[in-house]
Amino acid sequence: MAAETVRTETPKHTSGIGYLPRLLRLLWLYGRLDLLWVTRDMRTFLSWTLSEIVISLASVTGMWLLSERFLGIGVWTRPQVLFLLGYAATVSGLTELLFGYNVAMISRRIGRGQLDHTLIQPQPLWLSLLTEGFVPISGSLVVLPGVGLMLWGLHRLPIHITLIWILWLMLSLAASVGVALAYQFVWGSIAFWAPRSAEEINTSTSRLVDQLKPYPLDGLGIAMTGGLLSVLPIGFVAWMPCHALIGLSVSPYVLWATPIAALVFGLLAAGLFRLGMRHYGRVGSQRYSPFGHRN
Amino acid sequence: MLRKYTKTAAMTAASYFGESPLFLLDYALRLLRVIVLLSIWRVLFAGKGSVAGISLGAVLTYSLISETFAEQLYCQTDLISSFWNGSITTRYLRPMSVFSQFSVEMYGKWSVNFAVFSLPLLVCAPLFGVDPLPHSPLNGLLFLVSLALAVWVGLAIEFIFCALAVVWEMPAYAVERVRGAVSVLLSGAFIPLALMPWGIGRVFGWLPFAATASTPLRIYTGTGAPLPLMLAQLGWAIPLWLLAKRLWRINQEKMVSYGG
Repeated sequence: MAAETVRTETPKHTSGIGYLPRLLRLLWLYGRLDLLWVTRDMRTFLSWTLSEIVISLASVTGMWLLSERFLGIGVWTRPQVLFLLGYAATVSGLTELLFGYNVAMISRRIGRGQLDHTLIQPQPLWLSLLTEGFVPISGSLVVLPGVGLMLWGLHRLPIHITLIWILWLMLSLAASVGVALAYQFVWGSIAFWAPRSAEEINTSTSRLVDQLKPYPLDGLGIAMTGGLLSVLPIGFVAWMPCHALIGLSVSPYVLWATPIAALVFGLLAAGLFRLGMRHYGRVGSQRYSPFGHRN
Repeated sequence: MLRKYTKTAAMTAASYFGESPLFLLDYALRLLRVIVLLSIWRVLFAGKGSVAGISLGAVLTYSLISETFAEQLYCQTDLISSFWNGSITTRYLRPMSVFSQFSVEMYGKWSVNFAVFSLPLLVCAPLFGVDPLPHSPLNGLLFLVSLALAVWVGLAIEFIFCALAVVWEMPAYAVERVRGAVSVLLSGAFIPLALMPWGIGRVFGWLPFAATASTPLRIYTGTGAPLPLMLAQLGWAIPLWLLAKRLWRINQEKMVSYGG
């Protein structure tokens, strides 16, 4: 570990693209650590992984059963619902794979004072947050069931799959993960001002995404749908991009909606987080007593 | 005699307000989920009369009552958290059994949930186009009895899962999350078992999870015969409690807990 730290040390005044080699080295390092964790304690690994797979599948099974019973949900046919459920599960899995260890649950790190652990590292905060939660081995087992469901749905859909369509799918998935993460950071930033009471706020917001992500949101009314595409942008996690990808939307421009939303919510999250950091810089963490215990 | 129990429940209820002023946000998010779920049912039943003998009105009432009594239909104590943070050790020093402590703390939380979320949801139900009343006054009365039995079964399941977490040395939160995910599906709290495809609802109806949610909800909405359903609850409660107590007695000394 010590040797690894020295090897990945960044020269001073590095910025922007200059961090790319270090970013890749850190991803490789955290990937290896995840592999070590997986292979060192099989019981823990199996418990966590199997439970994550069960939870991931259970969160979409209810909607799948309803779709089978009612031969679709509203304008969505059964294969379309399958694709939607697979897409939703994949987005959750990717968020878990790329931003594990409470990076996506940022309110916990802020509220518990654990942000200090990241701030003392000799690298920018964004670089730590982009790499620390990378769990490619354990996380992939959560992504795979989602991908399987998506392929199952696609197989039964009359869609002509081209390279362009695949690129759109990948861009949409990345954008959906971006929206999901930004949404968590926007709400999680409250913990800068209310560390104790908002420590678990991301548990509530994440639970809402998990519960609502597989719902086809058509028929909710303009106000409700508008709310789920703005204040709580859950519609971008699966419903909106799937609408566009499987051709339920009339306009092809709808494909751009999720990437644009990711950009807007990403900027909003970054702005709020910076504001919170400024506050944190003044008051620091109140969660540790002088002898190290959490208050 | 009962003072120590009521005091413990009251302290837990008060801790909500003292430790987390943002807890109201949780309820707002829950309300949002209810509204979306009700809309989904309307979309599914559009143009259809009854499905499997259940009308749209009955399924809306079923979903609303399921959310109103969500805590009772899915009993969850702080036992798992206490494994995680190590506080379980001090529980053995208190002049109450471990089961009693965690149970009354759970009741304390319920009182807040009921006042802040359940009661307002029931009152506002007509605004969402849902009739919150039971199928008949008798059904309403039997629902309360069945709900008490459901809590009894639910608590037994909770303590069995916790004991198994100790036996297999499993990560506490993984056990809790799996139980939550599986229970919601198998208990009929989310989808009435009769509306599940391929007749799998009939299979799920024989599992103990159905006794924790499906049974009281069916009685409330008048979609099941109360007496056989409640007898089945009783049939699950007794062996499950015997099992829970036995598992706990045998395994509590194997408990590994750490935290701080």
